[in-house]
Amino acid sequence: MPSASSPTSNSDSSSAAPEETAPEADASTPLGAVREPQRLHPLTLLLRVGASLPALAVILLPTLQNPSSENVVSVVLSILYGLVALPAIILQYLRFSYRITPQQIVIQKGVLRRQNRSIPIERIQNIQIQQNLVARLIGLAKVTIETAGSSATEGSLEYVGLSDAHEIRQAVRSFQHRSAPEADVEEAAADETEAPDSETLFAMSLPRVLLSGAFRFSLFYIALVFSALQLVDPEAIVQRFLRSQGRIDQITETMAAYPVLTVLATIVVAGILGWISGVLIHLARYYGFQLWLDDDKLRKRHGLFTVTEGTVPLKKVQALILRTNPFMRAFGWYELEVQTVGMNVDEQGHRVIAPFAQYDDILALAQRVRSFELPEAFGSVSRLTIRRRFFRYTLALSALLLPGAYFWPAGWWHPGGAPLPWWGFLLVPLILGWALLQYHNHGYAVRDDGLYIRRGVLSHYLWILPTEKFHAFHATASLFQRRLNLKTLFVDTAGAAAFAYPEVIDLPAAEADAQLDRLYGRFQALYRTRIEALTGAPDTRLDKEERPHLPVGDEAPSP
Amino acid sequence: MEPSSTDPALSAVVPDDTVRALDDSVRSIWTIKLAGLVLTLFLPALFYDLTHLFSADPWLPFGAISGTVLGLGIIYCLVWPRLRYRAWGFALRPEELYMEHGVLNHVRTVVPLRRIQHVDVSQDLIEREYALGRLVVHTAGSRSSDVVIPGLPLPEAERIRDEIKRFILEDPLTEDPV
Repeated sequence: MPSASSPTSNSDSSSAAPEETAPEADASTPLGAVREPQRLHPLTLLLRVGASLPALAVILLPTLQNPSSENVVSVVLSILYGLVALPAIILQYLRFSYRITPQQIVIQKGVLRRQNRSIPIERIQNIQIQQNLVARLIGLAKVTIETAGSSATEGSLEYVGLSDAHEIRQAVRSFQHRSAPEADVEEAAADETEAPDSETLFAMSLPRVLLSGAFRFSLFYIALVFSALQLVDPEAIVQRFLRSQGRIDQITETMAAYPVLTVLATIVVAGILGWISGVLIHLARYYGFQLWLDDDKLRKRHGLFTVTEGTVPLKKVQALILRTNPFMRAFGWYELEVQTVGMNVDEQGHRVIAPFAQYDDILALAQRVRSFELPEAFGSVSRLTIRRRFFRYTLALSALLLPGAYFWPAGWWHPGGAPLPWWGFLLVPLILGWALLQYHNHGYAVRDDGLYIRRGVLSHYLWILPTEKFHAFHATASLFQRRLNLKTLFVDTAGAAAFAYPEVIDLPAAEADAQLDRLYGRFQALYRTRIEALTGAPDTRLDKEERPHLPVGDEAPSP
Repeated sequence: MEPSSTDPALSAVVPDDTVRALDDSVRSIWTIKLAGLVLTLFLPALFYDLTHLFSADPWLPFGAISGTVLGLGIIYCLVWPRLRYRAWGFALRPEELYMEHGVLNHVRTVVPLRRIQHVDVSQDLIEREYALGRLVVHTAGSRSSDVVIPGLPLPEAERIRDEIKRFILEDPLTEDPV
């Protein structure tokens, strides 16, 4: 959005009369702006009916399996389906309309409960165009509209024609530009043609996608196995088992004879399956990955079956995240994500900007998104963190193992004369190693342009939090941390994930407080210079005595 | 620019003389609320004791469970609000809202006024009795998206709200918060 570059215009275009700009925009917009309320693409009906077919199949399943018997219930149900579901789909289609005006997108929908939603054009963060396999075959696309206001998708148009989808995005974009008066006319004109100034920042070839998948690991196959089991009639499985009883017995006997071998084989098979499904998932998600820079927005498109195309305005990038795992790191591969607010649930508020690239390429790319300077050295946290983590993990392990060891039946496996769970305590040295690694990988740096934090063992993160995106500053100390005089320091940013949150854990208390001061000082200084640049004076907002301070019995709040 | 925390114009985060406590009567409110909680624990314990009053071989003397719950609950009700009250402090500074709180988990928070999305003053039934208000400050941050100062006299809470509003309105920078 152009608002930050033109602070004055933003306020009056949002507050001052929409009527004022409407006729002017009316006169000058041939750009296929959708003026009249529009329906979705008619083929949507087909897709919706198709999507409801599995339900019908479930209803009809008994009839399909033995057509001879008279299965009245399912016939009645399917007639009901025809009488209720199909009209519902058609009514929903007829009662859904959308309209795009220079100020807002209006979506009206609902059969029984009408909903009339208008989304202000300026608030739109991202318009994403998504095509799944079927939609691609018949040239449709799903358009989702995200705003900063909520974490959920604000509006979704399912489905419109692909060309319509691009037109909508183009229209919204040009309206956003229009709302800034000093945006050049030429620039607006350039937007009307299909973004000629887009520059390819990053693209992945097929071998690169496969290689990237080879470094990942996924447990997705377990879900796949289970969903495959859903499709098969359980009775058939049991029958097959009973028929092949002899072979099964043979297998179980072999397994019982060589327990170690069995465990190893299981691990190897699980590993291979996980590896293969990692490759496949990556292929499906990132096939044909491309990232462009359209003057102030990142645009990316990827996917094998479901093609997703989305944009991220550069100004809306809240933080940069470099991510890797130990295998990838060993070969110098990294992933770049950006943190945004209009958050995509699939990606947990993080948008992958480059799934797989060498360190230098990633850094160069990240510099294009937002300029920063990596610190040469990261400060480390207190060494006491090793002790704390070691105790915590050992306690957790004991809580897991001790009840098991206590209640271990005498008839079960006792390797070396002790119940199996006792042997679990052999993991304690590993825990120490783990805690050491976590200490070693945890570092932070406070610089003028932001806060840099790196952390993580299996999933290694480097967060780059720019000063201008800081929101609130916290230093916390739990009961145990206070005993060791430690603190956790974090700066809240908009859209940060709850899991894998950027914080500096177990800093010495004094250092944490000092760094909090420093970070806040940076933030203040940044905004002072901005105000000075704007108004020509360091702080012309309010007189000293007019500034807010505690009104009740206040004796000179600040020096 | 040469930012440094020694610059006298930049207020250091903690000049602790200005940190204020909450209103005294917030302790009573907390006590009442905790008493409600203790009561919900005490009633099942009492029920258990009464139903086992005439059991053949009671493994505990009568009233042991309910008595323990009641005793601990009363101590909790009386002590916890005091600890919590002592841990609470806040200050509205020219450009930020500073607060520290937490009995087990100590938290120090600085919210720049510039980052506040909107401010509410809310009151529940008990707070209305004591004419106290709660100041709820919403930011766009993900973890601390709402920051609450409990137990302010209602007029003061409203005045702080208005001051924050005025700060935001008079901020010469009108960039988007996120």
